[in-house]
Amino acid sequence: MLKVKISQLLPSPLQINLECAPGELHALVGPSGSGKTTVLRTIAGLNKPASGKIECNSEAWFEADGLGNQVQQLPPAERSCGFLFQQYALFPHLTALGNVLIPLQNSGLTSSERKEISIDLLERMGIASLSDRMPHQLSGGQQQRVALARALARQPKALLLDEPFSAIDAPTRQGLYKTLAELRSDLNIPILLVTHDLREADLLADRITVIDQGISLQTAAPQTLFQKPRNSRVAELVGISNMFHGVFDSGKLTWDGCQQVFNVADKGKIPPKARVAWVIPQSGLSVHNGPSNASVPAIVEKMNSLGQIAVIQLRIQDSENTIEWEASSAEVKRLQMEVGCLMHLELDGNQIHIMPLRPINDPRRFQESTIPT
Amino acid sequence: MDIDAILLSLKLAFWTMALMLPFGIWAAHKLVKLNKSRPWLEAALALPLVLPPTVLGYYFLVSFGNTSFFGIPLVFSFAGILIASLIVNIPFAIQPIQRAFEAINPEIREAAQVSGLSNWQIFRLIELPLSWRGITGAAALTFAHTLGEFGVVLMVGGAIPGETKTASIAIYDKVQSFDTSGAGSLALVLLGISLVCIALSYGIFGRNPNRRRGIS
Repeated sequence: MLKVKISQLLPSPLQINLECAPGELHALVGPSGSGKTTVLRTIAGLNKPASGKIECNSEAWFEADGLGNQVQQLPPAERSCGFLFQQYALFPHLTALGNVLIPLQNSGLTSSERKEISIDLLERMGIASLSDRMPHQLSGGQQQRVALARALARQPKALLLDEPFSAIDAPTRQGLYKTLAELRSDLNIPILLVTHDLREADLLADRITVIDQGISLQTAAPQTLFQKPRNSRVAELVGISNMFHGVFDSGKLTWDGCQQVFNVADKGKIPPKARVAWVIPQSGLSVHNGPSNASVPAIVEKMNSLGQIAVIQLRIQDSENTIEWEASSAEVKRLQMEVGCLMHLELDGNQIHIMPLRPINDPRRFQESTIPT
Repeated sequence: MDIDAILLSLKLAFWTMALMLPFGIWAAHKLVKLNKSRPWLEAALALPLVLPPTVLGYYFLVSFGNTSFFGIPLVFSFAGILIASLIVNIPFAIQPIQRAFEAINPEIREAAQVSGLSNWQIFRLIELPLSWRGITGAAALTFAHTLGEFGVVLMVGGAIPGETKTASIAIYDKVQSFDTSGAGSLALVLLGISLVCIALSYGIFGRNPNRRRGIS
């Protein structure tokens, strides 16, 4: 188990709290400059935070109380973690095999044993035939496979991947995803993946931690994160398009700018008459030709057809609120939908998720980030 | 032709290069890791580049005075011109190596750190091989520059045949005594050796390994 709890104000604010279990693939996502890479570098020992504790399998890699009392600070070489760099960082003067042999320098094994392990690893990565090539003779995907073999050579206790697929073309990336998925079940160590690509995180990760301005905002399984973001900033960062504002009071949500009131369940954390942000998943939306008790009239503003799927933008009548509805092209055809026509939209109150509106500089965000999910 | 003078020049150039290289590698490696004090240290180490050789020679002459090194007097001796030559060559030995160390992508060093290498192993297995071109460049420059050194050697060593009379001083002597053909042949030999030495370093180690491999 990798446990990370670090905080600092300078040089850049950092307030991170996360845990990653053996065999878990945990993604750190956030916008550029949010501190994702800093977190990874800090775990590897390449950056030093002001205070906190980093431990892996109950071995403390770093511990400091923030008052200058450093209890533990293992140098990077002594933290048994594999690190995959975005630009591979292969040793340019060594062959693929030479690169994988480097981490085994201090293993105490004989040179033939080291070579055997390295070739095994390259074989596992599917590039044993390229072992004599220099890094500049390899493609991006092949270089990243060598880098992955190198990261695994020391039998690390944790694997840290810093945007490993961002410099690689899409088809090669698919292959690497597969390799990573296979490795994950074989290795049974915590794997942290930094990415700015939500789709990638959703595809690969068991859990995602959303980081913004150095602060971990929420850790949750991808589905939970997309359906129940903890606050409006998380919803924004995970790219939820149907996010609205309203007022919530004793189980009833009033939609800003509309007359609609929804019955919404809440865990009792929202104070009465609080302004809230709310989201609704696609499964909570349905569109009909005729009105019903629960429907609101809406005008079709835009229609984008993406092959089998159509994305329809509907504006609630007599309001500024627009909502995006995704449907199959067949459904759109059945409804005889056209730009400008009036439809009736139903929102399922049971699927509405409300969340507090937290301004970005609210100090309570710091407390919030420490609440485990 | 004054073979002794050429041999003495080669001997001086060889020893200057051999003694300066380890120091140059060490100093360049230290300099790359410094932050605040670096500009001042770099300036101090580059001083021999801009000071007139006679000024340097004068200071050496005054400071060596009657001192001796393991019983060998430093003024008007080979040991004296060697020490002077070492100091004069500090920038030539350090700068190319420093540039080579600086050209190494910091991520490469970090990758070595997280691969579990000690600082000494990182230096020996990663930094040194990647800086090879800078090191050979520094060796060639130091060697060739020492061959052509004149002012400092003259001030500290005078022109004692076989002891301090290097090829460049012998050329000067010959010109002074109107032996232009002797001066000319010596000058040609010196030119040839310098050219071969620089060309060898460019030809053998000319390609930048970092750039070729797409990391600089």
